[in-house]
Amino acid sequence: MSTNDEFEKFWQKIREIERKMLESLREEEERVLKELEEVRKALTPSWSYEGYLRPLYTIRDLGDEYVLYIDLPNADQGSVDIKFKDNTILIRAKLKMQHRFSEWSGQGGETVFTEYRDVITLPFNIDPSCVSLRQRKGMIELRIKKPKQH
Amino acid sequence: MFREVDFGEFKLTEYEYFRMKEPAYALLAMPDTGLVGVIGASHLIKVLNLKEVGGMDSYIYLPPITVISKKEIRLPIRIFASDNLLVVYSEFMPPPQAFPTLSRVLLDYFERKGISHVLMASGLAVQNRFELDQLKTYYITTKPEVEKILKDTGAQPFENGFLVGPYALMLKEALRAEMPVTLVMTESFLEFPDPEASAKNLEVLSKVIGITVDVKELIEKAEAIRMRARDTMKAVMPNLTRMRKEYEYSMPLNI
Repeated sequence: MSTNDEFEKFWQKIREIERKMLESLREEEERVLKELEEVRKALTPSWSYEGYLRPLYTIRDLGDEYVLYIDLPNADQGSVDIKFKDNTILIRAKLKMQHRFSEWSGQGGETVFTEYRDVITLPFNIDPSCVSLRQRKGMIELRIKKPKQH
Repeated sequence: MFREVDFGEFKLTEYEYFRMKEPAYALLAMPDTGLVGVIGASHLIKVLNLKEVGGMDSYIYLPPITVISKKEIRLPIRIFASDNLLVVYSEFMPPPQAFPTLSRVLLDYFERKGISHVLMASGLAVQNRFELDQLKTYYITTKPEVEKILKDTGAQPFENGFLVGPYALMLKEALRAEMPVTLVMTESFLEFPDPEASAKNLEVLSKVIGITVDVKELIEKAEAIRMRARDTMKAVMPNLTRMRKEYEYSMPLNI
């Protein structure tokens, strides 16, 4: 084997090690960001002093579509408003009646809750024409087809 | 305070002296699938007007939490009792590493109080819960005479599958301690509070205990309960995920 060939082989090994290291760093970065996001979600209260509640929701990846279930107990079903922008979903729904935090706890000042509000982010841009919605017993089901290239 | 006893890393406190009449039942309610057990126990405590007689705490296994209830300072794991029913109730889920010790401590305590049957109620997560109007209830019991009562309620035996969480540990420890135990599970959401499933469980359990429990209020106020239980459910979900709760969706290969 000539010297050039040996150098080439050597650099190939270096490049392979570099590639594996970068991949490993990327995976670790993703893992840390995911954990930080979980911590952020856990520390974010489910209500805001601005007078809205954040609903509980869950996202299921069914391969060709995402299914979101959003729990909106005591919401006026006729007032549910769902908007899509790029990869985000903005949900708003007025409560059937106002609630004060102090009803449930001895504290909370004069915060009065009048609606549910939250923003959910998906890993792809949403085409509203590929979304179907069902409401049932104070809960919303959103089926969102993934774009073909995703 | 009447008595305080150390059980390993747990401290058990009784606020007053009480004795259980036979046959005595213990109901364990810890946060789990759909908060079904906790919602049901909370309703039971209210309608039966059970008295808070004690509590449990652990500075090792539980976060630094105290419960303030009706202006009184209470421990995070609360104990309520009537003549023949003891309810151990907690809205806080200890970390999974605490479950084995907690199970043994509770069984030891139940034995000392003369409990003859341990009851547990939880949800069984089903993926199509959004579609369901009629919920099925399943049971696991080590007491043959209870099986007949449960069958008469329309509940079905839980034939095969996996159980994950505090109730799974409790079943195993109760078997080892030869303490009769029954677990009742109704189809429910995993990640949303499910008072309808709680109501179904209570209808079944009340037949086992031999009491009448009105669940009408639980069903009528389901939306209000779901609203109120949001933060508890949100706090429980990361623990359920860490425990690998998704195993309950699987089927064992070897039956």
